[in-house]
Formats: sequence, structure tokens, C-alpha cells
Amino acid sequence: MHKYRTAIFVAGALVVAMALDWALPVLVTDGSVRQLVMLAACNVVVALSLNVINGMAGQFSIGHAGFVSLGAYTSAVLSGNMHKWLGGGDATLARSFIVVPACLLASAAVAALFGFIVGLPSLRLKGDYLAIVTLGFAEIVRLVIGTAQVGSGGETIGQAMSSGGALHALSVAVSKLGGQNGYMGPDGQGLPLYAGPFWVLSVTTLACVAAWRLKFSGWGRALRALREDEIAAAAVGVDPTRYKVTSFVIAAIGGGVAGGLIAQMRDGSYLVNPETFNFQASFDAITMVIIGGSGSVSGAIIGGIFVTVTVKAIEQLQNTSVAQLIRGPHMLGTFELTVDLNALRMIIYSVVLIALMIRRPEGMLGERELGQKRPGPRPKSEPAVT
Amino acid sequence: MRVDHPTRGKLELPAGQPLLEVKSLQVSYGGIRALKGVDLHVMPGEVVAMIGSNGAGKTTTLKSIARLLPIGAGEITFAGKRINDTATADLVAAGISLVPEGRAIFPNLTVRENLEVGAYLHRDRKAMRETLEDVVALFPRLGERMTQEGGTLSGGEQQMLAIGRAMMARPALLLLDEPSLGIAPKLVMQIFESIKKIANAGVTILVVEQNTRIALASSQRAYVLKTGEIAMEGPSAELAQNEEIRAAYLGG
Repeated sequence: MHKYRTAIFVAGALVVAMALDWALPVLVTDGSVRQLVMLAACNVVVALSLNVINGMAGQFSIGHAGFVSLGAYTSAVLSGNMHKWLGGGDATLARSFIVVPACLLASAAVAALFGFIVGLPSLRLKGDYLAIVTLGFAEIVRLVIGTAQVGSGGETIGQAMSSGGALHALSVAVSKLGGQNGYMGPDGQGLPLYAGPFWVLSVTTLACVAAWRLKFSGWGRALRALREDEIAAAAVGVDPTRYKVTSFVIAAIGGGVAGGLIAQMRDGSYLVNPETFNFQASFDAITMVIIGGSGSVSGAIIGGIFVTVTVKAIEQLQNTSVAQLIRGPHMLGTFELTVDLNALRMIIYSVVLIALMIRRPEGMLGERELGQKRPGPRPKSEPAVT
Repeated sequence: MRVDHPTRGKLELPAGQPLLEVKSLQVSYGGIRALKGVDLHVMPGEVVAMIGSNGAGKTTTLKSIARLLPIGAGEITFAGKRINDTATADLVAAGISLVPEGRAIFPNLTVRENLEVGAYLHRDRKAMRETLEDVVALFPRLGERMTQEGGTLSGGEQQMLAIGRAMMARPALLLLDEPSLGIAPKLVMQIFESIKKIANAGVTILVVEQNTRIALASSQRAYVLKTGEIAMEGPSAELAQNEEIRAAYLGG
């Protein structure tokens, strides 16, 4: 029984996800709330993957949005073209079984490639210096897509290739991503949203299981050992080079898959925009990991949900009755009070982070998992000599 | 305890051939020559100590053998194979385990995880469990603290953990760097008792130690290092009687 626990759990989760695919629109009539639930699930994948670098490997990446962005664009371009090829129309569940896996695999592959490239400097750089490389990477992705010259004639990539060579073809290809206005599919009609609750929830579940197994596998132990002491890790046979680069590739794959889901999320946006994956997004991802507790899988899940809900809920709140109540006529009479709730979000963030740093410097869970006891106290039998 | 290293079969040496041999090893830190041609060898099954004062080059020698320092000149061979260009991580598979200086354990991993990482190269779970039992039998204290984080152990227990972790790889040769450093005297005795047990099980040991008295008492042969050179070598019992050594290292 114990042997098949994970398999039973995954199978159960798939059934639940399938049921929710049908039931969620019935249960939750508000599209924005559905979007929030799905986005929270996607962000859990973002947090879980960043946790591999920032938590387990002990590196510090502040450019995770770069991988998410690459995954989102890859998935958007591929799903848009596949949808066109399949004849357009509705994004049905049946078709999603062709489109979504293909797109997520492509997202993972592209992100993995860039994860490898960004991971290479991690062999020579540590701490702040590596952080700057990751930040630079995310900004390059955002700016290359965002500043592309859009509408440079109807030149196709093939024509560009023959007229101006590979570099010109590449710039034409990038410009087809819509630049600052975002990408809306090959015909500019909006992206097909194939990833319903079934896909979002089952991929998230698989990511959770994978992250859990990774942490407690020999691989995860070796990676955490490397974080603690590189020489000692090498002394037990852990090859630092291989582990550092692999951790970047794995984190990038997770980020890419999350981006791939976000691009096609049902009830989500019909376009992908480079500004969605700006520094703020990378920072949100770090907050998710730190709030939950660096290195903790359940912490990353909690952090992912918490941050998404705060960010989005406050955005939503802007239009609800609570905000009307604050804004509307009250005791002050004619005095018009405007409250920008988006600004409030940063205040909530700050308060939570400051409180956490004081009460729990290691995040809600530290490196532990939900249900794990705190490690025992230091024994008093023998005084420590240092 | 069982010490059937997986590569043991390949380590059958012709009679008289040392397990570890270091020939005219030279190492420099920047422009300073820390080792000026060190020669030493360790026979299979031996416990060999390296003693000497601060800065004599003991740890430098051990670190060079463990491939943590670039070698200037000279040759290191293990079981007849040159290991000058072998990466530290690959030495473990060859049969060499290092216990680094200063109890380099993994503080945020539990004691069990620390030990399991030690068996990192062994995919065989059953064999790993057996080795784990052996290590716990060797250090019962560790058995009591399996679920505790390594960083919460006392200094002596951390050293036990570091040695236990190295033993998890079932090495043919164990390199120990200053096992007594900063540890309460009572525990130093215990740790050297365990080292003796490990040796009795057939593991070859090269130990660097500042505590000359205990190093000579628990080894068969010893090398005395002085300013980057071997000043003296011989059976430990003889060195312990040597007037010069008594005066310099044993306090008369």
C-alpha cells in the first residue's frame, strides 16, 4: 500500500482535476475568481521551481520571470499555430489533449536550454554576482521581445532568411511576437485557451509530487549538501559542476511549464505581454519562496497561493463593494476619498515580510515540510567547543 | 563492521605495493612553497599519522591527496593508478574518503541525511542500510540523534558524524584531517577509539593530527613534517621515544 501511495495520490488528483474541469465553471460563476484559482495553481509551479535554485541549491536567482516568459511565449506561439492548423473554432477539451502536452513540452525544452546557458555562470559566480546575471537574463528576455519593431512589412521568416540572413530572420521572428502590445496568436485574433482546470490542476499536482520526490531523493540530498558545504560535498563524491547546472535546468523547466500554462489558461488573458514577466514578477516569485520557507516544498505551495491571492485579490477588491464603501460618500460628506488598493498591496506585502523576518527569519516553515516537527534542541550533555 | 568496498576486488595489490604513494610532492600558495618535495607511502591496512607543528604542511599534503589543491610537481598514486588529475568527487568512487578539517558536516541536514549523502555513490539500498547500521554501531551517539539537524550536534558528535559520513562510502583509504581539532578531551579519546575500530576492520588510514601524543599512540607509522619537508619517519612507537620529538612535540 505504502509503495503505491504516490501513484494513488496522483490518480486521485487527476480524477478530481477532471471533475473540476467540468464543475469549476458551475461552482464558481465569477470568471475572475476562477482565474484567480488557476493563476494560484500556476504560481505554485513557479514557486516550486524557483525553490530548487533559491531553496535547495542555495543559489540566488532574481530573474525567474525570464524562464516563465520564455515558456509562455513558446506555448502561445505553438498553441496559436496548432489551433489554426486544427481549423480554429472552440478550444475544446478533446483537442487540448493534443495541444497542451505539445506546448508544455516545447516550453519546457526552450526554458531548459536557457536554464543551461544561465546555469553555466553559476559555476564561477556566487551570491550577488550570480543574482545579477539572472536579473540580466530576465531583463534581456523582456526587452528583446518588448522593444521589437512591430509591423516591419509582411515579410515572412523564410523571406527574411533569404534576403538578410539568419540574424535578420531572427529579428523578424521576434517582431512577430507583437512587441509591447503583446502576442495574440498568428492572426492577432487572441490565443486559444486550452488549459482548463484539468490541465492546470493536474500539472500543478505533478509538479508538487516531482518537487517533493526531488527534495527527498538522493539527488535532492546531494544538492542540499552542496549548498551547505562544497568541499565536504565533493568529499563524498558529489560533483559540484553537474549539480549546479542541473539545478538551474530543472528550475527553468518548471518556470517554463508554468509560463506555458499561464499563456493558455482558460479564463485567462487572450494575449501574452512582455510586461507580465517583469522584475516585479521575479520578485513576487522570490517572495513566494521566502514567505513559505526556502527549501520547503509545502512552503513554496503555501507561498505561491498566498502571494497570488494577495496580489490578485487586492486588484479585484478595487471594483468590489468594499472599495465602493471606502470610496463612496461617508462621514466626511462631500470629501472625495480615493484609495488606490494596488498601492495597498505593497503595504500588505511589506507588513507580512517585516513581521515574518522578525518572528520567523526562515519563513513560515523554514526548510521543514508541513507536519514535520522542528528539529530537536541542542543537547546539553557536552558543551560545544569551537 | 563490514568494509567490503565495491572496488575492493580491483584493489588487490601485488605484495609490497603501497595503497597510496606520494612522490616528491610540491605545492605552492602564490609564491610561497608550502611543500618542498614530500615523499610518503601508506601500505594496505596501515594506520599512518602525519604530525608536525602549525604550518608544517600536514593539511596541505592531505588536501593535495584529496585533490582540493592544485599540485605543483610530483606524483600521487592510489592502488597503482596516478590520481594527480582526478577530481575530488571522483576519488570517492576510486575508494578514497576524506574527513575534512573542522567538522565539515551539513548543518541543515538531519544526521540521517548527512549519513545518506555519504553513501551517495552507492545505489544499493540494502547495502546502504547495512553500512548505516555499522556506522551507528560504531557511533551509538549518532543513532540517538538520527532526526536531529547536524548543526545542533556538539563538536565531538559532529566529528563523529563527519567520520561516519565518510565511512558510508565504504572507502579503502580514509583520510582524516585533524580529527581532534577543538573537541573536548574525553571525546577525542572516544574518536580515536573508533578510528582504531575502523582500522581493525581493514580500512587503511592516513591521519593528520596536531595532538602528537594521541597520534603516535594510535598509529603504526608516522611522518614528521617540518617547514614543508619530511623531517623524520618511522614506527610510531620508536618516534614516541625519540628525544628530539619528545622535546619538540611532547613537552619533554
